[in-house]
Amino acid sequence: MLSPERLALPDYEYLAQRHVLTYMEDAVCQLLENREDISQYGIARFFTEYFNSVCQGTHILFREFSFVQATPHNRVSFLRAFWRCFRTVGNGDLLTMKEYHCLLQLLCPDFPLELTQKAARIVLMDDAMDCLMSFSDFLFAFQIQFYYSEFLDSVAAIYEDLLSGKNPNTVIVPTSSSGQHRQRPALGEAGMLEGVEASLFYQCLENLCDRHKYSCPPPALVKEALSNVQRLTFYGFLMALSKHHGINQALGALPDKGDLMHDPAMDEELERLLLPFLRLAQVPGLVNSVTASPEASCLPSRTPPRVGSPWRPLHHSRKVDGESDASTEETDESET
Amino acid sequence: MIPGKYRSVSGRAANNVNCGLHLVIQTSSLPEKNKVEFKLNKDTSSFPGRLLQHDLERNYSSRQGDHINLVSSSLSSFPILQRSSEEKILYSDRLSLERQKLTVCPIINGEDHLRLLNFQHNFITRIQNISNLQKLISLDLYDNQIEEISGLSTLRCLRVLLLGKNRIKKISNLENLKSLDVLDLHGNQITKIENINHLCELRVLNLARNFLSHVDNLNGLDSLTELNLRHNQITFVRDVDNLPCLQHLFLSFNNISSFDSVSCLADSSSLSDITFDGNPIAQESWYKHTVLQNMMQLRQLDMKRITEEERRMASVLAKKEEEKKRESHKQSLLKEKKRLTINNVARQWDLQQQRVANIATNEDRKDSDSPQDPCQIDGSTLSAFPEETGPLDSGLNNALQGLSVIDTYLVEVDGDTLSLYGSGALESLDRNWSVQTAGMITTVSFTFIEFDEIVQVLPKLKIKFPNSLHLKFKETNLVMLQQFNALAQLRRIDQLTIDPQGNPVVNFTLWKYYVLFRLSHFSMQKINGTEVTQNDMIMAERLFGILAHVASSELPQYRLISILGDARKKQFQYLLESKGKKPGIINEENNDSKRLVGENTNRATLNYTTRDFYNEKLEEIKEKKKFCKTYIEDLVKEATEINMKNEALQKLWPQMFIELVRDAVIEIRNKNSYMKLCLQQITDQK
Repeated sequence: MLSPERLALPDYEYLAQRHVLTYMEDAVCQLLENREDISQYGIARFFTEYFNSVCQGTHILFREFSFVQATPHNRVSFLRAFWRCFRTVGNGDLLTMKEYHCLLQLLCPDFPLELTQKAARIVLMDDAMDCLMSFSDFLFAFQIQFYYSEFLDSVAAIYEDLLSGKNPNTVIVPTSSSGQHRQRPALGEAGMLEGVEASLFYQCLENLCDRHKYSCPPPALVKEALSNVQRLTFYGFLMALSKHHGINQALGALPDKGDLMHDPAMDEELERLLLPFLRLAQVPGLVNSVTASPEASCLPSRTPPRVGSPWRPLHHSRKVDGESDASTEETDESET
Repeated sequence: MIPGKYRSVSGRAANNVNCGLHLVIQTSSLPEKNKVEFKLNKDTSSFPGRLLQHDLERNYSSRQGDHINLVSSSLSSFPILQRSSEEKILYSDRLSLERQKLTVCPIINGEDHLRLLNFQHNFITRIQNISNLQKLISLDLYDNQIEEISGLSTLRCLRVLLLGKNRIKKISNLENLKSLDVLDLHGNQITKIENINHLCELRVLNLARNFLSHVDNLNGLDSLTELNLRHNQITFVRDVDNLPCLQHLFLSFNNISSFDSVSCLADSSSLSDITFDGNPIAQESWYKHTVLQNMMQLRQLDMKRITEEERRMASVLAKKEEEKKRESHKQSLLKEKKRLTINNVARQWDLQQQRVANIATNEDRKDSDSPQDPCQIDGSTLSAFPEETGPLDSGLNNALQGLSVIDTYLVEVDGDTLSLYGSGALESLDRNWSVQTAGMITTVSFTFIEFDEIVQVLPKLKIKFPNSLHLKFKETNLVMLQQFNALAQLRRIDQLTIDPQGNPVVNFTLWKYYVLFRLSHFSMQKINGTEVTQNDMIMAERLFGILAHVASSELPQYRLISILGDARKKQFQYLLESKGKKPGIINEENNDSKRLVGENTNRATLNYTTRDFYNEKLEEIKEKKKFCKTYIEDLVKEATEINMKNEALQKLWPQMFIELVRDAVIEIRNKNSYMKLCLQQITDQK
């Protein structure tokens, strides 16, 4: 806590680095907006709740885009919220870019289409934009695009430069002849092969990371991502980033790809929500397979513990027969 | 009419009954087979040639083969006729050559004063060799094989020409027969009425059993009283009003199907007898009274006298027809108006969409058509119908359409459906709808209206049309799933129809599930016509259930309040209080065996604010944000100042403390002087 680095920064900078001020401003703003309601139960409680929600990552739900992208923590929270809310949707069919955008808009009404498009471009390698994408592909690409948006913009600029032969690292000596000599062969080279040379690219990136304040992926991990290839294209690079586990873990928003469909806590909640519907499905006249088939068809990747659920409704329905006032009994039972 | 003994044995009389001309062969007192007399059926009095009549009634007999000698001559191919001089004296003006198996007209010599000539029932193919009989008054060529009217140019006295049952294809070569009184061309192959306009003395014209398809070119027949057109293929009749004397017109067994095709008959003041039987028109329900109404001068229709009663009925029925026509005309007019209005609204909608699209894509291509289009629209605008027409709430029981038409929008009530076209139509919801009309409405259809605008009037809809259970949206710009959240505020929806046209949201594969999820408390039965199954509901919950859970349980309390709004705070009080529990289960109205009544609480927070409102709100917040920023900055400044001061103090404090202690110690070093100083201080204080 009392690290010397922390104390070394001047006050304002320290606060800014941790984005404390952003949250303070936002908190006060929210307070102003809802002062009648909040005044009823106390300002202290309000602040407690606010910062609690910031910690939990629920503060970005249904907020405007300018707030959602304001801090890295917000972005991470948003990604996580998106994953948790729509994991079940992702379990099903592949969706188009527009449909993912629709889902994003459910959480953030004014989310710009641009960002979703850029994310889709990463997945589809700038190909036909109407293709279907899987949830995991989209999610990881979106993570990279959203979290590192500014970084990626600079990288794009660098890539363009490299592609056209201009090396931002090199210092151009102000004698016309030497400048030209240097540029021409590079141009020819870049024109022949696709993409840019990996190591050169990486050097530029490293410089970028050093120079700029906003968040960049850890250079070591980026080097790792670039280690296998000689040349790469812009979208190839982004795709590599999005698939890199290390970067994903460094961000900490989403679980690993393999565990993407796992969320036991939410699954439990879902089961609880589905109970009334499944119980209705047990009503005579409706085919029993109703409970079995949606499970089987829609969620093939669920882990074995879920197999137990088809049995649960039957178990509950017996209880219903026995007791008249079913609802309260149920809640008691589920609470234990 | 004719005594039996005067009837011909051959029965030709029966055949000829169909023609207006009734040819009777009256036998004489002599028991001979073939006796010939010409007698006309009706209108014998007006027959100009009473002389002829008189002549015709004279008895006359001819024995077949007896008195007639047909000598074939070597000079020409035609046989030459010879009669005995007895015959010539007895029947000097008439000659009968019927059934003589003649194939050609024989040369008749020495009979130049002949007035009646009978060639019936032969096989004659051409009219020839009679040009010398210039006194001929009546020529009968019935039942031969004549293909062309010819060889008559010298018969200037001819008054009766009977050419029935031949093979004549065209009426021609009658130019010189200016005295013609009766022309019988029935049973031929004539397709057109022509070349008879000079026959100003013609009284009877028989064109039955031909191939006529229409009737015209009748001008000039100033004496015609009877026109027989039975058994043709006539579809329309013209020029009949140019016949000043026409009294009898027989059009039976033709192809007339509407009164318009014979409308000239109404203008004929002389017509008193007409037949239409066997035409399609006679099968129509309005046939009789239409004919009677239009032809007041008629005395006989289809060979039956017209009574006063019938005439009265006819006028009554005709009036009713008129009413009906007017009514249907009005209806079609209204329909046309409606169609035009809808087209107008559609065009405006398209323009609006184009404009929006242009703004969105930031293209600055010229909308070369849009500045012109409004002018066109204004030009073709229903400026003729500026006012409202038709009552909105009609008192009539069976009022099917209440129509209010104004240029840019359309409101239509059709039984149980309320249709709104164009955004201006939304204002109509403010009108005073009668309870009966409003209660009957179960379906509300919105077309060419922005969904955001519809959202704003949904509360009104809820109040004014409480029974509206089916909502239809077409061309309403539904693009986001969130927009469906707005429908949750209604009381109830059983069916929802989102037309793919103009509603991009339908392209999303999950839209139905989202609707089912968000509006689960409505227990909708049909979406876009397909039944909602239990599976669908389960799927919807499965897909979006977590969203609801997150939206309700993970939002901090103040957010819940701000989203739900003050009015619903009470409704969801328990939700706010019991934040730790699972709200999906705790719903007082929820009974597992019953459907969920009232809005499912955990998705109540999923609202939709229209884009405009949203942007407005964000604008408003900007001010607050600015203030907050400056406020926080001030706070931070204060805090940093205090912090700096604190740090400075921390740094300086040891020194200060040492100085304080040093000062104190120095003060007390000299006990005596310190004591004196203290006492001094105390006395000073007093």
